[in-house]
Amino acid sequence: MITVNQLQKVYNGIGVLNIPNLTIQDRQSFGLVGNNGAGKTTFFRLILDLVETSYGEVLLNGQPVVRNDEWKSKVGSFLDEGFLIDFLTAEEYFNFVAKLHNISKDDLSLFLHSMEDFFNGEVLGTNKLIRDFSKGNQKKIGIAAALIGNPSYLILDEPFTALDPSSQIRLKRFLNELQSKFNITMLISSHDLNHITEVCNRIVILEKGNIVKDLQTNEDTLEELNSYFAV
Amino acid sequence: MILFTLLRHDWLKTFRARGFYKNLAVNILLGFVVLYFIAIFFALGLFLQEFLKDTAITDKTPLQVFNGITLYILLAGLAVRYMMQQLATINIQIYQILPIKRTSIINYLLFTPLLSPINYILFFTIIPFAVRSVSVDYNALTAFGFILNFFFIVCFNSLITSFIKRKFGSNFWGFFAVLAFFGIIIALEYFKIFSLFNVSGVIFDYIILNPTGLAIPFIAIVLAYLLNRWFFAQKYYAESFGKKAKTETHQNRSNLSFLNRFGVIGEIMALEMRLVWRHKRTKNLLYLLVLFLLYGLIFYTNADYANRYGFLFFCAMIMTGAVTLLFGQWLIGWNSSHFDSLMTINFPIRSYLIAHFYLMLAGNILCFILTLPYFLFGTHIAMLHISAFLFNSGVNTVLLTFFATYNTKRIDLAAKSALNYQGTTYKNFLIVFPIMFFPMIFVGIFSLFSAINTALIILSVMGVIGLLFQKQLITLCVNQFNRRKYALCEGFRQTE
Repeated sequence: MITVNQLQKVYNGIGVLNIPNLTIQDRQSFGLVGNNGAGKTTFFRLILDLVETSYGEVLLNGQPVVRNDEWKSKVGSFLDEGFLIDFLTAEEYFNFVAKLHNISKDDLSLFLHSMEDFFNGEVLGTNKLIRDFSKGNQKKIGIAAALIGNPSYLILDEPFTALDPSSQIRLKRFLNELQSKFNITMLISSHDLNHITEVCNRIVILEKGNIVKDLQTNEDTLEELNSYFAV
Repeated sequence: MILFTLLRHDWLKTFRARGFYKNLAVNILLGFVVLYFIAIFFALGLFLQEFLKDTAITDKTPLQVFNGITLYILLAGLAVRYMMQQLATINIQIYQILPIKRTSIINYLLFTPLLSPINYILFFTIIPFAVRSVSVDYNALTAFGFILNFFFIVCFNSLITSFIKRKFGSNFWGFFAVLAFFGIIIALEYFKIFSLFNVSGVIFDYIILNPTGLAIPFIAIVLAYLLNRWFFAQKYYAESFGKKAKTETHQNRSNLSFLNRFGVIGEIMALEMRLVWRHKRTKNLLYLLVLFLLYGLIFYTNADYANRYGFLFFCAMIMTGAVTLLFGQWLIGWNSSHFDSLMTINFPIRSYLIAHFYLMLAGNILCFILTLPYFLFGTHIAMLHISAFLFNSGVNTVLLTFFATYNTKRIDLAAKSALNYQGTTYKNFLIVFPIMFFPMIFVGIFSLFSAINTALIILSVMGVIGLLFQKQLITLCVNQFNRRKYALCEGFRQTE
C-alpha cells in the first residue's frame, strides 16, 4: 500500500505538486493522466525518493521511502532512459539486476523467455549495447528490467510512447496479465487516454500539481476523460 | 562559400553550447594554463639557438641541427595527434538533406581540425627561432621558408591523422605500439645503428635551403588530401561518414566473472570497470595514467630535485595514487547518466560506496606495484612511495568519496574524449588541491628541519588509521551521500 500524506513539492517558490491525501491500495492499477507540467513525473520521482519532498511524506507499506534502501527490493520502475545503464548489453543489464535481487540464472532465463513475445526477437541475443538500441527497444528493456525480482509495485512513466502499435497492444495485454496473475500494484502515467482506461482500474487526473478527478474506471470513463481534456 | 558557413556553424555550436558560460571559471583557469605553456614555448624559441649550439655537433648551424630533429617532431606530432585529435564530425543528416555539395562537407570534415589553435602552439618556438637564428645565419627568405615548412608539417600531420583514425580507428593497444615504436627508433639512434637524425637532416636541409624545396611538403599535403578524398570516395554513405572504423568487436564482451564472489559489491565493481572500458573518455584517462606513472623518470633522475622532498613526495603521491586521483574526482559523476537507475535498483548505498572504495584501493595497489622499479633509485624513494601509498589509500580515498558528493555536474560520457574537461567545475580544484598539496607542503616543511622521516611516519600513520577505521569512515560517507542525494539526482539530470 502506498500512502501519501500532505505531500508538497515546491521549486523556487512555485508549488508543482500538492497532494494532501492519497492511498493506493495493493493490487490496484493506478493511472495518472494530465497535461505537460501537471506533476506526474515529479510525483513518481517523489515515490522513488529521487527528489526531496518540500513537505509531507510518502509511505510504502507504512514505511517512509525517504533515505531508505528497504523498498528498493519491492519496487520496479522505469521512468526514462536515466533508468538504464546504457553501456551494458541488454543481457548484461538483466543479469546485473537479477544478481542484485538474488535471482538465479535459470529463473532469469525463464523470465526472459516469457518476455520473448514482448521483445519481438529484437532484443535478446543481439549483443548490442543498450545505447545502440532504438528508443522503443530501450523502453522494452527498461520495462522488462523493472519486472525482474518480482516486484510488488511497478511504476512506469508513459510506457506506451515510442512503442510501435503492435508493441503497444502487446504491452497492454501484458500489463493486464501481470495484474490478474501476479497481483502486482501498478502506477502508470500516460497521455493516451484509450490505453490508460484499458489498463487501469483507477484513474486520477492531475492539473498543475493538484488532483482534480479521481475515477474508478467504468464504461463512461473514457468519455469523461475525453470531455475533460477537450479544448 | 558554403565551407565557411559550415565552419561558422561549428563556431556557433561551441559558443552557444549550454554550459559554456556556466563554466567560465574553468575556461578562464584553462586560459591561464595555456598562457603558461605559450610562455614556456616562447622562451624555448628565444634560446633555442644557444641550446642547439651547445650540442656536440659543432660543424652544423643551429638550423641544420633543428632540421635533424624535425622528423622526430613530425612523428611525435603524429603520435600526439593520434591520441588527441578529434575526428571532425558534422551533424550530417541536417546538412545532407540541404542542397550542399558533398565535396564541401568533406572539405569541412578535413579542415576543421586545423582551426584549433592548439595546432599552432609550436609556432611560439618556431618564429622566435627563425627570427633570431635562421634569418641571421642565412637570410630572411630562408627564415620565412622555414616557418612555412613548419606550417606544411602541421597540415600534413592533421590530414594524415584524420586518414589513419578514420581508416584504422584508434584503440588502446595502438597507444602502446606508438610508445614501442619510439623506443625502437631512439634506441637505434642511441646505439648508432640507424640515424633518423641524419635522414631528417638531409631531407629538411634540402627543403629549406633550396629554392624549390618547399614544393616537396606541399606535394605531400596534396597527396595526404587525396588520400583522404580516396577514403571518402570509398565510404560514400553518411552512416560511415563521421565514424571511425569500428575497432570494438561487440562479440567479445569482457568477462569479469571473478568479481562474482564479492556479491553485490562485486557486481557494482564490475559495472564500474565496464563503464571505464566502454567509454572513450574514461579510456583516455588510462593513457594519462601511463604518463602519470612515468612522472618519476623525469624528477627522480634530476639532481636538482634530489633534496626537494616536498616535491618528490608530490611525485610519489601522483604515481601511487594515479587511479584514485584521475577517477576519484568524478567518483559519483561517472554514474550521472544512469544515476536514477542506480538509486532505484535493489542495492544499499553502503555497498555502492564500498565498491568504489575497493576499486580505488585496488587501483592504488596496482599503481604501487607498477612503480616498484623506482625503488632502485634508493631507500628514500622507497619510503616516499610507501608512505604516499598508505596516505592515498587511507586518507585520500575517504576525502574523495566524501567530497565527490558536492560535484553535482552531469558528465556526458558519450562526448569527445581527449582534452575533455566537461563536468569539471571549480569544485574539482577545491577538492584536489588540498589533497595533493597539503601533504607536499607538510613534507616540505619537515624536510627543512631534516625531519623528513618524521613527516613520512606521521603521514603513513594517518593512512593506516584511515584504513583501520574504514568501516566508520564509510558510514560517515554514506550519511553524507544521503544528505546530498537529491542535489546529486537533480544535478545529474541537467543535460548540457
